[in-house]
Amino acid sequence: MIETGQNLLALGRTALSWSERMRRFPWSLMVLLSVTSMVGFVILYSAVGGRDNMWLFWRQVAQFIFGIGILGTVALVADEKFYRRFAYLLYIFSLLLLIATMIMGSVGMGARRWLELGFLRLQTSELMKVALILALARYFHDRAVGHVLTWRDFLLPFVMTLTPIGLIVKQPDLGTAVLIGGVGISMIVVAGLSWRILLVLMGIVGASLPVIWNSMHGYQKKRIITLFAPDQDPLGAGYHIIQSKIAVGSGGWTGKGFMAGSQSQLNFLPERHTDFIFSVLAEEWGFIGGVTLLTLYALIIVRAMMITEMANDRFGLLAVVGVTMLFSIQVLVNIGMVLGLLPVVGIPLPLISYGGSSMVTVMIAMGLLAHINIYSRQHGRSV
Amino acid sequence: MLDDDREQFRGDARRRILLVGGFLGAALATLGGRLFHLQVLRGGEYRTLAEDNRISLKPMAAPRGRIFDRDHRILVENNPDFEIVVIPELAGGTLRFLLRRLRRFIEFSDEEVKFLLQQASRQRSFLPLRLKSHLTWEEVSNISVRIHEFPGVDLQNQSIRYYPLNSLACHILGYLGEPSDRDRQRFANVTFRPGELVGKSGVEQHFEEQLRGREGVVEMEVNAVGRHVRELHRTSPQQGADMRLALDVDLQLEAQAALGNAAGSVVAMDPNNGEVLAMVSYPTYDPNQFIRGFNHAQWRALINDPSRPMINKAIQGQYPPGSTFKLVVALAGLSMGKIDPREHVFCSGVLVKEEQKFYCWRRGGHGSVGLAQAITQSCDVYFYKLAERLGVDAIERQARKMGLGDLTRVELDGERPGLIPSRAWKRKRFKAAWYPGETLITGIGQGYVLTTPLQLANMVASVANGGIVYRPSLLRLQPGQQPEVLSRLAVSSTHMEILRQGLEAVVHDRTGTGAKARPEGGIRAAGKTGTSQVVKHKREKSGQLIKQTGDKLQDHALFVCYAPADRPKIAMAVVVEHGGHGGSAAAPVAKRVLDRYFAKYGVPE
Repeated sequence: MIETGQNLLALGRTALSWSERMRRFPWSLMVLLSVTSMVGFVILYSAVGGRDNMWLFWRQVAQFIFGIGILGTVALVADEKFYRRFAYLLYIFSLLLLIATMIMGSVGMGARRWLELGFLRLQTSELMKVALILALARYFHDRAVGHVLTWRDFLLPFVMTLTPIGLIVKQPDLGTAVLIGGVGISMIVVAGLSWRILLVLMGIVGASLPVIWNSMHGYQKKRIITLFAPDQDPLGAGYHIIQSKIAVGSGGWTGKGFMAGSQSQLNFLPERHTDFIFSVLAEEWGFIGGVTLLTLYALIIVRAMMITEMANDRFGLLAVVGVTMLFSIQVLVNIGMVLGLLPVVGIPLPLISYGGSSMVTVMIAMGLLAHINIYSRQHGRSV
Repeated sequence: MLDDDREQFRGDARRRILLVGGFLGAALATLGGRLFHLQVLRGGEYRTLAEDNRISLKPMAAPRGRIFDRDHRILVENNPDFEIVVIPELAGGTLRFLLRRLRRFIEFSDEEVKFLLQQASRQRSFLPLRLKSHLTWEEVSNISVRIHEFPGVDLQNQSIRYYPLNSLACHILGYLGEPSDRDRQRFANVTFRPGELVGKSGVEQHFEEQLRGREGVVEMEVNAVGRHVRELHRTSPQQGADMRLALDVDLQLEAQAALGNAAGSVVAMDPNNGEVLAMVSYPTYDPNQFIRGFNHAQWRALINDPSRPMINKAIQGQYPPGSTFKLVVALAGLSMGKIDPREHVFCSGVLVKEEQKFYCWRRGGHGSVGLAQAITQSCDVYFYKLAERLGVDAIERQARKMGLGDLTRVELDGERPGLIPSRAWKRKRFKAAWYPGETLITGIGQGYVLTTPLQLANMVASVANGGIVYRPSLLRLQPGQQPEVLSRLAVSSTHMEILRQGLEAVVHDRTGTGAKARPEGGIRAAGKTGTSQVVKHKREKSGQLIKQTGDKLQDHALFVCYAPADRPKIAMAVVVEHGGHGGSAAAPVAKRVLDRYFAKYGVPE
């Protein structure tokens, strides 16, 4: 019923040969991701202090290789409709895991974010990032056929976005909540939410800011206050921002050189191999290094966005938008925080920060893009 | 049709994607601009800051000021104490592993290990983590010879508060504890270091500002792995100011011993300047325990103790003054001319007023009594009649002049004001009129009247010195320093003399109620007994009065006195909770303290 006209032509093509899948794989994206990760290895090597903590470095390399494997699996193995079919199931499953985390998750750094599954320590909010993208894409895909979307059609997507956010805020993990919120909103906007409703919503959010402020944890408030006046508490909440800005600023045009950043090497910079790794780059490689990485990110984002043109349907198009936003927001929020433009929230820098969960999530998301690119019907037409 | 829809969507989506892309581009450009701003435009500035960062600042705690008694005997001092700290990041391995290795030399309970691991996960790993305080000498020596086996681990010597007399005068000295939010507000300009303590009660709390010293700082140059290379500059910490109290340890010890195991309070003052010579509240606690730390059971036991050891009964215990209040009523009567000291009143043992019977403590009555005998024998009927003549408001005025019903402003926090009733007070508090009968019981220090032992001591001191109410002072007055005067009583010296003779007879006359306070060696004392009724009836929910039973029903025994009677050197108030009669339970306590005083200082000429 849905599959008419053009789709009849496509029927024969759904089962692609392996060589065809390899041919259609977006290799340029793959190269960009790898180059960026290599840059990450160099910075990480310096951030962990060279030889003493080499195991951290090798572990990150291993995580990257593992991530590439996951990307390939996600992109190549599944058939065309696989992700659309299991989108809701994955979403529900992720939601249940989030609830389970809330009830019996383990506590680290004062927050309840991990679920211990015997051998595995799962940060359940990571799974939700991908699940929400797929579920929203599927919803708009199903809903929009032969039907113009009205404001009622947008109620459920908001609920689908806000429910996991509520659970994640409770953990509390403000960074991930903001990230998921950004991804959800941008997908809803691209799906066709009228600008008028968007303006009204923004008005409502603006008006409810005081309420949100009052419901925030003390440390969260402190971080926001600190953003505007870091000098008030230089050894406490302002420490991260002040030291990070010193590291970045002292880098100058060309930086202090590899392994030569005094801020990075003298332990003044906290969390320098995870959330604050960008300041190590900026200190040691200067403005040139910082802009180079920003350019690499810009290229990845543009290349990812280009895949929207390749998408066969709304599901594909919206999934690409979601994945791109997931990636972009992390980059923007992390660097914005390191440069003292945004409050300190725990969001890692994609492909660069040390950490397995974040790497795996990025690779799964990128695998989805490659998958959509591979099954695009545009391949036959053009070229 | 469907294709149209699809194409239309694609077109709309393309516009929206371009918009989102534009937004992302603008955001990335902002980051680039910010990078330019920080690195290129303000690079030099930050480079200087980074240079400064090679210097690390290590705070050095300042020892608190010490506290002495009036004879320069030490009451509170600082002892050396060792603690073991680790910078987790430098330890080369997990904290769990480090603790397992340290456990061969230092005792860590499983609970402590769990707490430390939790603590470590919350703080930055380049900041020092205190593993254990108050190490024994054995632990210190065991670790110090092996310190090189434990990178990142350091033994730190600091001073720890020590109260050599343990629980003696604990309520005056106070104790230390972790700063609360209120402490942080009070000392907004002080940055409290982790583990730093502040005064939580007593002198330690009241004089926190003087006692706390000024923190020192060592500036160290650090090398590439964060180890200290050399010391660049040192600002030594300044110890806080020492305090010299007016307290006399001998009297404090004697008063504490005399009170024995009875809950209550003793306050002794110099009536000539308001200095507090002794201030006992029982039961006590050991302030050293707050430094060592409590286990859960000890802490529960301390704060749930029904006799409330944490309360300083001398300033926070509010008791009906009983017959000791007759000093106030007598002075009010004399100064207002409402009685002629020679006038006699007949006491039959009961006074009937508006169909209510008001009894004298001696049911048989005192017969015909003048003011002097009424005081000596503590005749209640005489004072009922006098109170009736004065009215409650006149009594209130006199009581307030003598420092009752108001804070004495002694140098301690948490003082209670007591309560002196008046018509206006009752109207405000209960929205009810004052009954004449209530004036009568106010006249013998019962009913609504509440006073603290310190107020009573100050009251009797003002009679002892002829009419000056000083502000009680815990600190020894400096030579030449004038004591602060709260008020001067408008009583003629002849009237005061009449009262004083009555009070002397209380102790020395055959009929006096305070004979048990008579000091040794022919010294003449003057005093007044008091017995304050404890509420014996509890109103049940049904409205019926039920009689309570048990020890807690005994009346409070009170005694106020001064000596020598002609040129007083010491004034005192004793309250023995549930002790029974003032003459039998409180007067002997006063006698022991008076004897100790005159044994030490001799009899003035």
